Amino acid sequence: MLLDEIKSVLTFAAFKPEADDATVSWSKRFEGRKTLLLNVGRNQTSWRGINRKGRFEAGGVMEGEFSEVAPQRAEEWRDLCDGGWCVVSINNRFIVSLENNMLRGDNSVHLLRTNPRAVLGPKYDRGKRYAVCHHQASTGSMLLACEESMVKGTEDVLKAVGLRPGRVCCGLFALLESALHQFHESQAAEAAQNLVLIAACEGSIAVLVQQDGQWRELRCRSGLGPDAVETSLQIISPLIQKAPQGCPIQFVADGQDVKFHDDLLVHLQKFGVTDLTQEDLLWRTIGVN
Amino acid sequence: MSSYLCHDFKTPRTDTSKRLPESFKAVPVLFYLALLVGTYFMTMDWMAYKRAQTVKAQADTTREEHEKASSKMRAQKEILDAETKKAEAVAKWMEGARNLQPISVAIARAVPPEVTLSNLTLERSDQVPSNLALSVNINGGTAAEVAMIEASLARLQYRSYSPQQSKNGSVIEYRSTLVRQE
Repeated sequence: MLLDEIKSVLTFAAFKPEADDATVSWSKRFEGRKTLLLNVGRNQTSWRGINRKGRFEAGGVMEGEFSEVAPQRAEEWRDLCDGGWCVVSINNRFIVSLENNMLRGDNSVHLLRTNPRAVLGPKYDRGKRYAVCHHQASTGSMLLACEESMVKGTEDVLKAVGLRPGRVCCGLFALLESALHQFHESQAAEAAQNLVLIAACEGSIAVLVQQDGQWRELRCRSGLGPDAVETSLQIISPLIQKAPQGCPIQFVADGQDVKFHDDLLVHLQKFGVTDLTQEDLLWRTIGVN
Repeated sequence: MSSYLCHDFKTPRTDTSKRLPESFKAVPVLFYLALLVGTYFMTMDWMAYKRAQTVKAQADTTREEHEKASSKMRAQKEILDAETKKAEAVAKWMEGARNLQPISVAIARAVPPEVTLSNLTLERSDQVPSNLALSVNINGGTAAEVAMIEASLARLQYRSYSPQQSKNGSVIEYRSTLVRQE
């Protein structure tokens, strides 16, 4: 043990962030090490490796419950990462809602993980895990609530097959956060006070409406499945129709089912949607940032 | 690179320790610095050791050459010493080997005219050249002539050692070893 500590000091590992330090980006935490990215859907799991140079390498997809897929692919997954560290994107059994006047501060994100009751107050549900994304210019916040049993179950399955989750997140929420971050960083944010942002990931969909610089409405459905194009349109269409004329509509999606993305985009293009989808967007969102 | 940081709601670990402060990086840095300096000095010492080995080998070679020359000189000196000893012996012998003529003359003058000497032999000793074996036959002489001869030899600082005289008719045979008195 003492030898390990001396070794970690001499290799500067003792000064690097912990593998599961949520305050540091994934690429910085695992610089020069292989890691595994997992995207867990309702009925399928996809994965991708990041090599020591930080580039994406071999990936794959397998149908079935995660608890059945993991033992079958465990050996392959362990080869794709150093020390068994991986990111898990959960795309099922969660809900995203709009909240107002939530506690903000440097420690609020950490507090939300360790003591969510202190942040959420009466809104806290003990069977859920939370993540939050604050509007930069208003008091609005998007609150993600994921079933704790889903998170714990996934963590247990990974532990059983010799993998260690360094980050457990929601792919759809990450895509939303990332798109909003890019929107606010761009010049367009200052000019455009209105926005409709549609995000889809592995059969889950979310639509966020911003009017007059305020987040007004958010609709989210998880675990719809890749065939639910019609259901998705039923969620999206009313919000788009309510949006003011000339309001930019942005669409971002990733997942294994390209057909779902294409089918949905065909319908959305009627409303003049801008497709922000890029190759490996989800992997880059959860495996770099 | 974007400043966006992805959210995370994994179960927090309880066994994590606080990371070491940045200032503690000085510890491994100093360690590696000491390692580098140590390596530098070790390399320099090793190179100096190798150089010293080469110099020592050269010195050994020179010493061997000098020893060879020295032994050669010693052998020559021994030869010369032997020659010197021989020369000294010869010189000593030569020094001891004095002129015999004064002795012959002194003996001839010691005897009166009526007495004749039929035989006079002076033999020098190989080992002690200063000693002479004298043998003389005195015709018609007496013991008085013998005494006269001894007296004249004494004047030349020769002493007779174990003198013997025998009379054979009118001839007196006198034998003696003459020892030089220094």
